[in-house]
Amino acid sequence: MKQLVSLGALLLLAGMAGCGPREKVVKIALACPLTGDLGSLGQGLKRGVELALQEEGSYDAQLPWRIVLEAYDDRADPKEAVNVANRIVSDPAIVAVIGHFNSGCSIPAAQVYAQHGLLMMTPAASNPKLTLQQLEPSWPWVRNVFRVNTTDDIQGAVAAEFARQRLKTATTAILHDKTAYGQGIAEEFQKRFETLGGKTLSFDGITTGERDFKSLLTRIKATKPSVLYFGGMFTEGGLLVRQARELGLTAPFVFAEANFDPEFLRIAGESAEGAYLTFLGSPPELLPTAKRFVEVYNRRYPGKEIKAYDHYAYEVTGILLTALRQVGPDRAKLIATVRTMRYRGVLGETAFDAKGDTLNKAITLFQVKGGKFVPLPGAPLPPA
Amino acid sequence: MLLQQLINGVTLGAIYALIALGYTLVYGILRMINFAHSEVFMGGAFLGLATLGLVGRSWLPAGGQVAIMVVVAMLGCAFLGMALERIAYRPLRRAPRLTPLISAIGASLVLQNAIFLFVSDQSLTFRESLPVVHWRCGGAELNSLQLLILTLAVGCMVVLRQFILKTRLGQAMRATAQDSQTAQLMGVNINQIIALTFFLGGALGGAAGVLNGMYYGSIKYNMGFILGIKAFTAAVLGGIGNITGAMAGGFLLGILEALGAGFLPGGAEWKDVFAFVVLILVLLVKPSGLLGQHVPEKL
Repeated sequence: MKQLVSLGALLLLAGMAGCGPREKVVKIALACPLTGDLGSLGQGLKRGVELALQEEGSYDAQLPWRIVLEAYDDRADPKEAVNVANRIVSDPAIVAVIGHFNSGCSIPAAQVYAQHGLLMMTPAASNPKLTLQQLEPSWPWVRNVFRVNTTDDIQGAVAAEFARQRLKTATTAILHDKTAYGQGIAEEFQKRFETLGGKTLSFDGITTGERDFKSLLTRIKATKPSVLYFGGMFTEGGLLVRQARELGLTAPFVFAEANFDPEFLRIAGESAEGAYLTFLGSPPELLPTAKRFVEVYNRRYPGKEIKAYDHYAYEVTGILLTALRQVGPDRAKLIATVRTMRYRGVLGETAFDAKGDTLNKAITLFQVKGGKFVPLPGAPLPPA
Repeated sequence: MLLQQLINGVTLGAIYALIALGYTLVYGILRMINFAHSEVFMGGAFLGLATLGLVGRSWLPAGGQVAIMVVVAMLGCAFLGMALERIAYRPLRRAPRLTPLISAIGASLVLQNAIFLFVSDQSLTFRESLPVVHWRCGGAELNSLQLLILTLAVGCMVVLRQFILKTRLGQAMRATAQDSQTAQLMGVNINQIIALTFFLGGALGGAAGVLNGMYYGSIKYNMGFILGIKAFTAAVLGGIGNITGAMAGGFLLGILEALGAGFLPGGAEWKDVFAFVVLILVLLVKPSGLLGQHVPEKL
């Protein structure tokens, strides 16, 4: 229904008009939320993918096929994600999927793609289960999932180490949004925090879309935690920190990377001041290898903010196009090629382990200062 | 802590009650659930923010700016409510009962997507328009914003009640609610009364939208959805069609949610379940809702 042939692909076509007719169409699917609460992030991913296609377009003018991007909206809903996945696998012209965005969508959708031997590359889903599920004996299919972002077991652990060792806090109250992502990372935080001798005072789920968390925060305030942790998205994160501060809950607040969004600052206002966030890898402004990406992006999309995962979307598209040039539009060969690829791009060097996770496991720490996300010096290295 | 939870619950309940009144007024007259009411509420928040942007730089004192914002949002939403009735419901008045319901859902989608496409698909900051004063009493935090919400909400409800019980127009509304055909025979202009009902409901929804924006500090195109469901629940809990019931239901639901999330272990995850279990229990014992039958004139 919401299947859109992207503008970028059309531009690409226009640029190739002089190259003679090339009948064979190779399709790449992008599956992520394009509408709804997370729609703005999905639109950012789409810009990242289109930018990469446009950049690579000049090389691909020599190839005997043309590449078309098809964007599918999964509305951040796991049920819809499986529907979308079934539509994608039924189109034989699609050779690979970029997506999904949410872990909760990616985990079930990956199984559909695996059954049909379709390559899936996610630019954002960070729950470790997404790649771990492929190692289970009940997984008879090919291991088809690759991701270029660090996973939540590492992100949660780094946040816990930061809270325990750098902030020297002993007790924590943990909140999550009951999604595979939010609850997953909250559990990783809790595990590490307790291994390091900290104590969990409470572990509570909230409902996404809800706007009033004051009763829960009032209860948490009474237990006097020395640090708060939230695993979830920026809308709820912003409201949580705002309402916590209004209730006089002054303990430091640590957030997972999905809160790293200008909207978090807009919702929380001054209450965001001092909040800590972990970020998967680094945002493009901090990556020397991404300087060109930032320039090209700002030129192509003037006035659009670069969202937190756009450079990941750009990177997976680059990896995919490289593999495509090497082996052509063959689903099985593409998976095998990506598995052994060493790719130098905006993230530095990317290579994958046996599960399909990137070997680049950096995490950056941020604090909100003066209404901006400011990187903290001496960020801890990922645990060995 | 109980005191703090009650403050949380009553503030939340005041907003529920204001929106619930809009549902219940329309239901009382037309026996129809106006599902687009939650978007009228959302529209009020956006209209309020736009007004604040216009008067914010003027020489007016902060109190005056907020007063203008509330009045503009209430009036704007009142007319939005009337327009909805005229465009989406009046042509279907003699249609089967399900038809206007579908029309209402359609209207709701149109309004929500209009804001999504033409205003913003992201959260907008509802900047602080009044200096907020905090008080501490007995370990509980109360701020001037919560007090303002309560005063304004209760004020609106009292005025509405007096209007319906004491004025001729109110009497005409009650007559229409009881039996619209007979009321028409007695010389009541039904179309006018129905438009008036949407006007009143819209105004209350607009006020709730502005208060909600001020309280939470940000607004978004989809903010009406969950609140609308909750307010509708409150209206059913209190006995849909009954004005006092909608107010009682709103406050009760707010307080129940606050206590559920605040005192049950893991309560935050279950607070909706808790609120709906109470709703089901009430409806089992009293299918018409808490106050559904006590008041002879259904409105």
